[in-house]
Amino acid sequence: MARISLKLPQSEGRIARWLVAFMTLGFVALAAAAVAIGWITVRNARYTADILHTQDVRQAIATLQVEMEQSETARRGYLLTGLPLFSTAYETTAQRLAPALTALRSSTHDNPRQTARLDLIEPRVGQLRSLRTQSIALVDAGRIGEAQRRFAVDASVPLMRSIRYRLRAMAAEEVRLLEIRSDRQQRSNMLFLSVAGVAALLLLVVAILAILVIRRYTADLGASRDRLHLLNETLEDQVVERTADLSRANDEIQRFAYIVSHDLRSPLVNVMGFTAELAEAAAPLAALIDRAEAIAPEIVTPEARIAAREDLPEAIGFIRASTQKMDRLINAILKLSREGRRSITPEPVDPAAVGDAIVASIQHLIDDRGATVTIDRPLPALVTDRLALEQILSNLIENATKYLQPGRPGVIRLAGTRERNRVILSVIDNGRGIAPGDHQRVFDLFRRAGPQDQPGEGIGLAHVRALAYRLGGTIDVVSTLGEGATFRLNLPFDLRLQDPVA
Amino acid sequence: MNDHKSVGIVMIEDDEGHARLIEKNIRRAGILNDIRHFTDGTTALDFLFDAADGPAKSGPALILLDLNLPDMSGTDILARIKAEGSPLRRAPVVVLTTTDDKVEIQRCYDLGCNVYITKPVNYESFAQAIRQLGLFLSVIQVPSAES
Repeated sequence: MARISLKLPQSEGRIARWLVAFMTLGFVALAAAAVAIGWITVRNARYTADILHTQDVRQAIATLQVEMEQSETARRGYLLTGLPLFSTAYETTAQRLAPALTALRSSTHDNPRQTARLDLIEPRVGQLRSLRTQSIALVDAGRIGEAQRRFAVDASVPLMRSIRYRLRAMAAEEVRLLEIRSDRQQRSNMLFLSVAGVAALLLLVVAILAILVIRRYTADLGASRDRLHLLNETLEDQVVERTADLSRANDEIQRFAYIVSHDLRSPLVNVMGFTAELAEAAAPLAALIDRAEAIAPEIVTPEARIAAREDLPEAIGFIRASTQKMDRLINAILKLSREGRRSITPEPVDPAAVGDAIVASIQHLIDDRGATVTIDRPLPALVTDRLALEQILSNLIENATKYLQPGRPGVIRLAGTRERNRVILSVIDNGRGIAPGDHQRVFDLFRRAGPQDQPGEGIGLAHVRALAYRLGGTIDVVSTLGEGATFRLNLPFDLRLQDPVA
Repeated sequence: MNDHKSVGIVMIEDDEGHARLIEKNIRRAGILNDIRHFTDGTTALDFLFDAADGPAKSGPALILLDLNLPDMSGTDILARIKAEGSPLRRAPVVVLTTTDDKVEIQRCYDLGCNVYITKPVNYESFAQAIRQLGLFLSVIQVPSAES
């Protein structure tokens, strides 16, 4: 029988495994890229915050400078003109100086160099403020001239210059920091871009690999499905072809069996006949020996006595027993071949009804042997030869009641399933079972298995198998010794569709 | 028995043993008629139809016929004997054979066989059957062959 393997060839399997490994690797790399991108994004946000902070510091420096200049301008204006307008302007701007300083200090507290510069600026701003307060007070008191003189000599101008210089230095420092930070951010951006690019590339590779794997598997699946389909298609034909072969072989064997058994009977008639003649002829001889022994014992040799009284009857007895056995065997073959020659008439049959009839007809046997027979319902109906099916099931059920496991009440079940256009009927028992080595043998003519404690010639199952073949079917047995047996009869659902040869 | 001429028994049987057993048992039944034994179909047909002392030319006969012969089937001989226009078509034919095939038995009766007996392997039954055949032979009337 053709055996079709559904396994992938070795090389294809290896390629598929590699593809899967690559894909797994790709997914791992993709996950790593995602983590990297996340990390870079977080870092980028920090850099951006740094840059914004630098801008804030620059803004604070500029504010302080502006306030410084504006308040100085207001003071000088007041000194020159004595107009209260400048006095008010000075008050307003001078008030803003302290908050501007505090703001700058708080925003640069993390930078020791800027803090050091602020430490120098702050006392100078204080000195300047006291000088300014003095000159404003003098002008308020109407002593503008004195105030102007003092302004010309006091430290206001150098102080202003020093503060300006230091603020510019602070601004320069912030510009330097800005440059560094911008640079860093740009590099980070570049890194982000390249990682994203690599990730995109990886994604593409993984996607391509995934498509390849899926396509391969789909192709494999398709091929497997096609093969399976083909197998299914040809299976039907194979079964039909095989059963036709079996049926032909069976017919031939039936003819052979008929001729052989028939021709064997002829010589057997002679053997039996002349044995009887011999027995008849032996009787007067034995009588003669008896008489001779009574009248003239000296002429009777021990050999003659033993021959007439023991050897002859014994030999004749053995010949008789053997020929009788041979006659039974030949009759069995004849019966088998005659059954095989009986014409088959397919008709719709309900196996459950057939089973019921069999159980009813051998109920006394079943009861005597202490067994129970159950029949599943419904059993799949089929179109077959009723008589042949009856004989098959009857043989199987009777066998099941006959070969029980000692000490275990027999439980026998008739079950059935329909598989496509075959019907499988099973006779399941819990009897003594059949050793695996005998599973084929039990179906052979005159062959039996297990302890020979039941009468029989070894014909029943041979008959069953011959009938199963005739019905376009097969029969097999599944059994473990000591645990019961299941005989499975596999028949076509409709014998008329099966094969025209039968 | 026939008043004028004793009825000859023609036995066509290829198995010498069977022939002997049949003859013995016929004799045991008390039948003393002449028995002619043939082991093949050709010589048997020659005797039946052509021999000067054969049943066709002289005297009535009863034919014991086995179906399994080496040169032809017993049914062919039966057909010849019972054929339309055969001088022996009224001669009783007893088919005595091992074949117990239903179809074969029907065929023999269709061809005009008078009695069909299956040779039982069991010798007691066999002897019984032959003796009863002997009794039967002793009472039946056998017509003469047509001239």
